[in-house]
Amino acid sequence: MNELILELKEEIIKVLNLEDITPEDIDPKAPLFGAGGLGLDSIDALELIVLLEKRYGIRLASAAEGKTIFTSVENISKYVSENRKR
Amino acid sequence: MKEREWAGTTYGNAWMHKWLIRLLRYTDVRILYAFTSVFVIPVCLLINPSAGITYRFYRNRMGFGRLKSALKTYQNHCLFGQVVIDKFAMYAGKKFRIEIEGLEHYQELTTREESFIQLSSHMGNYEIAGYTLPQDKKTLNALVFFGEKESVMTNRARLFSGTNIKMIPIRPDMGHLFEIDQALQRGETVSMPADRIFGSQKKLQMPFLGQVANFPYGPFSIATMRGLQVLAVHVMKEKSRTYKIYATPLLYNLEAPRQEQIKELAEKYVTELERMVNLYPTQWYNYFEF
Repeated sequence: MNELILELKEEIIKVLNLEDITPEDIDPKAPLFGAGGLGLDSIDALELIVLLEKRYGIRLASAAEGKTIFTSVENISKYVSENRKR
Repeated sequence: MKEREWAGTTYGNAWMHKWLIRLLRYTDVRILYAFTSVFVIPVCLLINPSAGITYRFYRNRMGFGRLKSALKTYQNHCLFGQVVIDKFAMYAGKKFRIEIEGLEHYQELTTREESFIQLSSHMGNYEIAGYTLPQDKKTLNALVFFGEKESVMTNRARLFSGTNIKMIPIRPDMGHLFEIDQALQRGETVSMPADRIFGSQKKLQMPFLGQVANFPYGPFSIATMRGLQVLAVHVMKEKSRTYKIYATPLLYNLEAPRQEQIKELAEKYVTELERMVNLYPTQWYNYFEF
């Protein structure tokens, strides 16, 4: 799980072009959206959707599902480990 | 463009829209053009902040003199009134003559299996493209403002029924982004404006008409996420009953790093937007300071 969390952090930094952030800067339990976390917004959410599809073969069924998954890196990691197709 | 909140709706209430459509069934649009130019637009120019914004656009961005800027501001508002009337004239069943430049680019993209993106702007009368460009091979998903009046949405839905056109309203949550992504996965076309920041506040700073302006990051990011082909589509009013559609491919290097792709695509879009503004300076309806 820790390896997957690190991999996800690296992927998130890469696809969202977070130039000044390192994987160590991201608290896996911190919220990704809004204040107190990475401060991501809706376009970033779409990037994460495409990331899950391209890298792990996961297609989300609805916006509501995305909302529950993209709460933190730890939560995404849990979802990916249970649903990944590659 | 400045991230000021926009109501995202056509002026007037459902009753006014209904009567305007009825009136247009029996009236030549030119009569309403004349009426609005004489009685409505002068009042709008006095009470609406768009007059000052437009004047400064012509004076500072286009470099026109004071008198010419004032005249262009009046013409701009008259033409804006005319495209709104034309929109309701279409709802009333009126037809317009359409010329198309670049139809071959559009047709080529619609015959491919892959999805593509149409980028629009707040110029001319983009809605006419939806009723004109053939959608028989690919479904077109048009991103529209969630707050639009029910009467406008109902009439759009009526005109689009039986066609391959769907509307995706921009929602406060990220529901519309899922719909965009799903449409792209199905190989469909997605159309969205790229000259005004909406939804996501991420922006790109681009030189536009000699100064730096903010453009939305989203449309360029969405296109490059999946390496999609992009077409800029502008629908400009030529005469009272004639429009010209410009379909221009925006090519970018798909092998370049992602951020470079986004930048190159945005530059191509801005270049096309500048071309349109220079060709049709009085049809710039992005009433925001920038």
